[in-house]
Amino acid sequence: MQFSGSDRNGRLLIAGAAAAIAAVMVLVLIAGFRLATQIRASVGALQRTSSLQTYPAVISQQLTALRQRLGTLEYTGHVHRELARTVQNFNRRLSGVERRNLDPAAVRHAERLWQNYTPVLAPVLAFSGEPYDDTDTGSSLSASGRKYYDEVRQAGIFAQGNAPVLHSELAAVSAALQARTSAAAARLRTLLLAGVLAVLLLALAAAYLQLSRARQQRAAREAQDQTRDILKTVREGFFLLDADYRIGAVWSEALTHLFGRSDFKGLAFEELLRDKVPADTLATAVKYIKLLWGERARENLMKSINPLGQLEVSMDNGRGGKESRFLQFDFHRVMGPKGVKHVLCAVGDITSSVLLARELQEAQENAHSQLDMMIGMLHADPLQVSAFLDSAAAGLKHVNTIMKEPARTDGEFRKKLAGLSRELHSIKGEASALSLMSVAERVHHLEDMVAELKAKSDLTGNDFLPVVLKLDELLAHLRGVREMTARLVSLKEGPAGEGTASLPQLRIGDAEAPQAGRPVRATVDLGALLEQLAGKLASDHGKQFRLTLTGLGEVPAGYLDTVKDCAIQMLRNAAVHGIEACETRRTAAKPEIGEVRLEFRRLEAGYEFVFHDDGAGLSPEALKEAAVRKNVITAEEAAALDNRAALALIFRPGFSTRDSISMDAGRGTGMDLVARAVYGLGGKIGVSTNPGRFTRFKITLPAAGAASAVA
Amino acid sequence: MGAAESSGRRQFRLLIVDDSNIMRRRIERSQRFEELEVVGTAGDGLEALELARRTDPDLVTMDLTMPQMDGIECISRLIAMKPSLRILVISALSDKATAVQAMEQGANGFLHKPFTDRQLNDAIAELIS
Repeated sequence: MQFSGSDRNGRLLIAGAAAAIAAVMVLVLIAGFRLATQIRASVGALQRTSSLQTYPAVISQQLTALRQRLGTLEYTGHVHRELARTVQNFNRRLSGVERRNLDPAAVRHAERLWQNYTPVLAPVLAFSGEPYDDTDTGSSLSASGRKYYDEVRQAGIFAQGNAPVLHSELAAVSAALQARTSAAAARLRTLLLAGVLAVLLLALAAAYLQLSRARQQRAAREAQDQTRDILKTVREGFFLLDADYRIGAVWSEALTHLFGRSDFKGLAFEELLRDKVPADTLATAVKYIKLLWGERARENLMKSINPLGQLEVSMDNGRGGKESRFLQFDFHRVMGPKGVKHVLCAVGDITSSVLLARELQEAQENAHSQLDMMIGMLHADPLQVSAFLDSAAAGLKHVNTIMKEPARTDGEFRKKLAGLSRELHSIKGEASALSLMSVAERVHHLEDMVAELKAKSDLTGNDFLPVVLKLDELLAHLRGVREMTARLVSLKEGPAGEGTASLPQLRIGDAEAPQAGRPVRATVDLGALLEQLAGKLASDHGKQFRLTLTGLGEVPAGYLDTVKDCAIQMLRNAAVHGIEACETRRTAAKPEIGEVRLEFRRLEAGYEFVFHDDGAGLSPEALKEAAVRKNVITAEEAAALDNRAALALIFRPGFSTRDSISMDAGRGTGMDLVARAVYGLGGKIGVSTNPGRFTRFKITLPAAGAASAVA
Repeated sequence: MGAAESSGRRQFRLLIVDDSNIMRRRIERSQRFEELEVVGTAGDGLEALELARRTDPDLVTMDLTMPQMDGIECISRLIAMKPSLRILVISALSDKATAVQAMEQGANGFLHKPFTDRQLNDAIAELIS
């Protein structure tokens, strides 16, 4: 911009110089032409006056010739005529002289001298007739001849005497004329010289201007080249925004790479980010850009509230998909005389540093969670932990078997998902009971993924890949936990070599050879596990209740897993949904501390397992409402259900009264799993409730499956 | 700190708005400007409006999350009442959208909680300069 202004000035100067040259040349030409015309006239006059100078001498000679011829009586007629012609010519020429160019005094003087000739010459010229008398003895001058002779002689004498004077007078006239002509010629020369000099000077000036302009242009071009190089090489995307929040005509090449487009000129800032960021982020960004033009926008303040300092954008990855990147926008206001002129934007791709920071944070969190895990394990019974690890390993092995089963149809995939859900859910339950939160959180995340898959239509094998990866991670983590447990055990039990350092593989009611299908999972001390879970649930959810366990020792080995899974699930439900907060219980005139009972007993034929809590109970209406909300049944179906059928809704897959998912509730995988497990063993489950007073689950299991569970 | 003895030098009237009593006292005690006179402290937006009407402050420090009326609305009402008012938002909210919104409503500065005395004084200095 700043170059083109001076360039225009330079061009104007050069044009001015050229015009001056032309004007000088025209002036010189006009003046020169006039001088030349004058000189030409002078030269003509000079020629004429020069020719006049010869006349006095010629007249004098002719008079002499006339006298001699008269003296020798020769023929005089032609000499007389010549003289007459000469006089006549002289007369005419002298009077025809242009006085304008001559010194008038000199001319007048010459004329006066010539006038003196007239009385002398007139009688000579007036003579006519024959001057001789011819006789037989010879010829002689006649009387008139003699007179003629005398007049010729006198005229000759006069002419001889006056010719030099007249000649010199005429010479003076022509000399004056010559001097004037020379002066004019000299003026012409000077004029031409001056003109040429002026033109030369002006041409020099123009050349200098042109040169400096070329130099300036070269400098401008170089500066432009440098700017272009900078814009081409710099790694940030640079551009200017105008007062309409539109991108200017120049931007760095990095911007093209960052946004995968090159049509930035005049593009509104909003359009640059549209479809790449969520709508509310875009709205905030636009508001922020507008604020930059305001008076209150100080650089530091605006920097501190920049909502685009780390902006996650979704970009085309060039392969038809989208990828997430992090961009950093910096804004600098460019001030002009009338306030903010432009806003300079610098955009950088900070994806790698953001990811690195996240990795660091993750690593830190991992370290923290390992520490938490270790502290948790220090408090937990290593025997229980190791039993859990065995059980979880067995569960995951089962998961692996499920995943490997061939599946093609959507139905088969969904069956896989259901199996996955059940296993994951029970592993999570046990892990949280043992406060192994790092494990529980990982399983929770896996459950999220499975839930997402369940919501998807048209499942394919590829959809399961991320789950498999996560499962691998979980396995690795469990291995880590096992290692740490081993170390803790060796720490607690003294140096290795005493025979107790190896991990005990505890099994209650040791099952012999597991039957085909699902392997028998190792179990932990069920009572302690449930007590621990109850304590954790109470503190997590701010509830207070007492857990009474009866007859758990009676649980036969084949039912241990199922009873444990069911008990964990029901205990969780009771703590989250059943038992009310203390104040609520107080207002309802119930004891502040809740009561949860779990009883297992042998019957004549089979076993009975009762789970009882004195919490809020189940409201058939609330259950129906929740089932409709979760799309488990339609509103019409709900209306048709009686209270009993409404209570049975809790055994439907996907049912939950919770709208948000937490670690302990809301997924809707719970009572359906309990029911399924019970049915799987050939048992029955029933629920009875009194809203506001209690909920009771009664499970009966046949005697037949007591030795080992059937898948 | 008698207001009367040095009131000649005090050109700015400061109103402190924050729902935390501790934070109000902290701001009041930490500011080191002789030209500032604290004319009132308010615990929520409505009280702030009422106090502003009575005390006609030049400068307000404003919390954003408050009961009754939140900071954003309070800012826009205060600015409507007195456009020349300078408002320093002091908030724990870290999302930039809220800050941008506050600026849009007319705030002049933004300070994140927690802050040091120096940060507070720098922020106030920028506002009264």
